Amino acid sequence: MASSNWEKWRLPADPSPADLARAAAGERQAFRMIVERYQHMVYSVAYNVLGNHADAEDAAQDAFLRCYRSLPQYRSEASFSTWLFRLALTAAIDAQRRERRRPEPVDVPEVAGEAAALAPGIDAATIARALADLPEDYRTPTVLRDVYGLPYHEIAELTGRPLGTVKVMVHRGRAALRLRLRAEREA
Amino acid sequence: MDCSGVRALMNRYIDGELGYLETAEFQRHLAFCPDCSLEFRELSALRGTLAAWGDVPLAPPAGFANRVMTAVATEPLPGSPRPLADVVGDVLEWLDQALGRVRLPGGRTMPVKNLLGWAIALVAVVIGFGRRRGQDQAKTRVSRAAGAARR
Repeated sequence: MASSNWEKWRLPADPSPADLARAAAGERQAFRMIVERYQHMVYSVAYNVLGNHADAEDAAQDAFLRCYRSLPQYRSEASFSTWLFRLALTAAIDAQRRERRRPEPVDVPEVAGEAAALAPGIDAATIARALADLPEDYRTPTVLRDVYGLPYHEIAELTGRPLGTVKVMVHRGRAALRLRLRAEREA
Repeated sequence: MDCSGVRALMNRYIDGELGYLETAEFQRHLAFCPDCSLEFRELSALRGTLAAWGDVPLAPPAGFANRVMTAVATEPLPGSPRPLADVVGDVLEWLDQALGRVRLPGGRTMPVKNLLGWAIALVAVVIGFGRRRGQDQAKTRVSRAAGAARR
């Protein structure tokens, strides 16, 4: 069983309860601190689900607006980053349902900070292109399952697809990516 | 278990969904089949690569935080009642997602909620037309009856 990748993400510590309370009361400076601290996480989730910059930026902004509106409802049973991750995921999936845009073929994101090679012969640009080129129906379930480690039943719930369909989409996504990365290594 | 059987089970093995017997047969096949073993190693490596990709933070476009804060500035305070127009917009969006879209000729699509809207408008027009006609007929009957009484 895959672990939930997003739970072990190296994130800054959650904002203090006092900072969250100030942001929930509408203090803009406190909310700006949240945006600046979590923008990479939220944008990464949106980009990985949507596969292009324009849609990812819109969805990431939408996620922060949802966060701003719902801050008074945030309860600290889940960590703030987990809660925000869920908002980002939902905003990205909603954007995908709404827009149905095709990703640009070479829309490679800039990695924040230093990025080590992900595997022999595979760098960040290669994996970003391979994921972005996957058909949308395969990309989202595969990203949720193998990039973020979500269980299949949660993916089915989030995407509104039957469990069996989600599994088939992930298996096909993996098969397409395996062949793509093999070709990249051999090139 | 032959190669096609093993390949059919590969994803379920990776997801930890196989029972003990199937797992044992799967592993026994991999031990002597170089082709299936290679495919399995590639698939396992792919999962490791994708999990590592999940740890890579991607940089949003320059000025992203400022744009978010500009949008936030137009929002009411968190927790305050939302404007009716926003609530109606959210309901329509929810309907859009729940009902989906229908295909039209030429590869275009239309939200089902729009079709429903047109259907409701059409029914309203038909009902209005019917009532108007009924009222006209009633007026005609009344004026005829009055004419007959005068005669």
